[in-house]
Amino acid sequence: MLQPNPTPAMVRPRSNTARGLRKMIRQTLYILGTRHWSFTAGVSIFLAVICALILAPWIAPYDPDAQELLHRLSVPSSRYWLGTDQLGRDVLSRLLIGGRFSVSVAAMVMVISATFGTIVGVICARRAGGMVDEVIMRTVDLLIAFPDVLVALVIIALIGPGSMTLILSLTVVAWTPFARMARSLTLEINSKDYITAAEVLGCSRFFIVFRHVIPNVYRPLSALTFLRFSHKLITVGALSFLGLGVQPPKSDWGAMLADALRFVDRAPLLAFAPGFAIFITALAVTLIGQGLEIEDKSKKAKEKSYKDVEPSAKVMKGPNS
Amino acid sequence: MLKFLFRRLVILFAALLVVSILAFLIPYVSGPEPAQMIMHARVSDLAVDPDTIAALRVQLGLDRPLAVQYLDWLGNAIRGDFGFTFTDRLPVSVHIKYAFVVSITLALSALILALVVALPLGAIAALKPAGKFDNAITFLTQILVAIPEYWLAPMATLVFAVYLQWLPSAGWTGPEHVILPALALALRPMAYFTRVMRASMIDVLEAPYITAALSRGLGLGQTIWRHGVRNAMTPVITLFAMWLSGLIGGAVVIEVIFSIPGMGRLLYEAVVNKDLPVIQGTIMCLVSFAVLMSTITDFIYVLINPAVRIKDASA
Repeated sequence: MLQPNPTPAMVRPRSNTARGLRKMIRQTLYILGTRHWSFTAGVSIFLAVICALILAPWIAPYDPDAQELLHRLSVPSSRYWLGTDQLGRDVLSRLLIGGRFSVSVAAMVMVISATFGTIVGVICARRAGGMVDEVIMRTVDLLIAFPDVLVALVIIALIGPGSMTLILSLTVVAWTPFARMARSLTLEINSKDYITAAEVLGCSRFFIVFRHVIPNVYRPLSALTFLRFSHKLITVGALSFLGLGVQPPKSDWGAMLADALRFVDRAPLLAFAPGFAIFITALAVTLIGQGLEIEDKSKKAKEKSYKDVEPSAKVMKGPNS
Repeated sequence: MLKFLFRRLVILFAALLVVSILAFLIPYVSGPEPAQMIMHARVSDLAVDPDTIAALRVQLGLDRPLAVQYLDWLGNAIRGDFGFTFTDRLPVSVHIKYAFVVSITLALSALILALVVALPLGAIAALKPAGKFDNAITFLTQILVAIPEYWLAPMATLVFAVYLQWLPSAGWTGPEHVILPALALALRPMAYFTRVMRASMIDVLEAPYITAALSRGLGLGQTIWRHGVRNAMTPVITLFAMWLSGLIGGAVVIEVIFSIPGMGRLLYEAVVNKDLPVIQGTIMCLVSFAVLMSTITDFIYVLINPAVRIKDASA
């Protein structure tokens, strides 16, 4: 994501790590400053959340499971920054530890389904119009509109809850938008002259895919990954909310929200905090995705204005692509 | 074009058949054998005489080959008969019929609400891309997408039902019960409709007939309404149909929070109670509806957009 920035400072040998680190931070900030504001804002929030979650065991002020029964449902104070829950456990510590489950499961789902979906999409584009393509794309059509909570519900009912089940059951639906997008992007690229040139030169299919197709599709696809990430984060929370995601004694944001709702009339903030955590993380990822998408589009528009647009770019697109 | 639709239809029904096989197999892959589960559901006694179970197996035809049983089950399923539930011994179809009507009411009201807000928002955003309004509306859609509905719904309930006491907090007995859940459900489709409306409106506004209409002296508002919005709505209608089949069963969390007896809650409770006939029936019903909606969308798309017909005829 971060592109190397060829300033003279990079060439000079680093005298010590502290200086190198400072330089790295400065360059990161410089790169962030030149990107679309949406991307910058998203990355800043997301990095802060991720750092907090990774460092959670060290920066959490209390043990998330330590019960302080004398301080049940207490309001935020200097001692408990976000108050305590019905068993007197510190909400901030529980948020920090619980978020690790939500975010890591959602991230795993996204990585697996983006990879799988892209591979399927590229293969389908290669065989566009054939039987394999037709069957896979109709499956995608059917699954893409199907609510992932439902699919996950049925799969969890069959093989029992757990983080592996959760990842599997969400991936079943999550790969479909990637397959559809990768397919249509690849079709567009396959009609370009440089692909024909590579084919004429005798390049193998794999070489063409890795040298020409993947570098051209990864930008919009990574934007899609971030945009879908927020949705998965919310779905993971929903399943935990229903008691089908994370299993006790472990807890995550969705499960904390469900627990807190029983005391919502006495301690509204208790229910507000975990939901807000999901919201702000989901918003950060959406902002990143949106920023990447806008950058990609403006880059394409710039390329278009440089040279004449190929009118044949839409030839392979049917009404359903 | 007809050939294309026919091919699509055949594949969709093949997919439906595959789903039906999977749904049929659910009782065989989850836990003890079906006869034992049915017996357990009937007498709720774990220690039943093996002979009684064997007799029940013969009586219900569960000793026949799987393929025969499947065809039998499929024949009944097509007629809407999924057997009886494990929990209250009522026909599954009775539950599904009731839940389906509830879900479709909820989904339609949420989606219409979303559409009413999204169409003008998308159109306004498209008038001046990257302008002040466009940026504000884009940011708004990002917030709408990122809000977990199971967080907003209880918070809205707290404000409107507990503090202000304007609306009921849960249940499904009158029109006032639709408002809060529909609002919570409408947010995400609202954001997606706005985005799609904006993108398609930008495309439409670049078209020559808009310039032509404007240069003929038609007012800006008239042009946008008559030529812009109508043409830009096509992709939004497709999306509407997609969301309708998605929201019928996808509103699980909202239905659980507001105790609405819809399809999502039916399936959720069936999963919690391990009520297999209900799970089978609900899945088949939802997937059939998704297939139906997908087919209808294709036909509507062809009907309202003559360009598709002509393009395909020449290609």
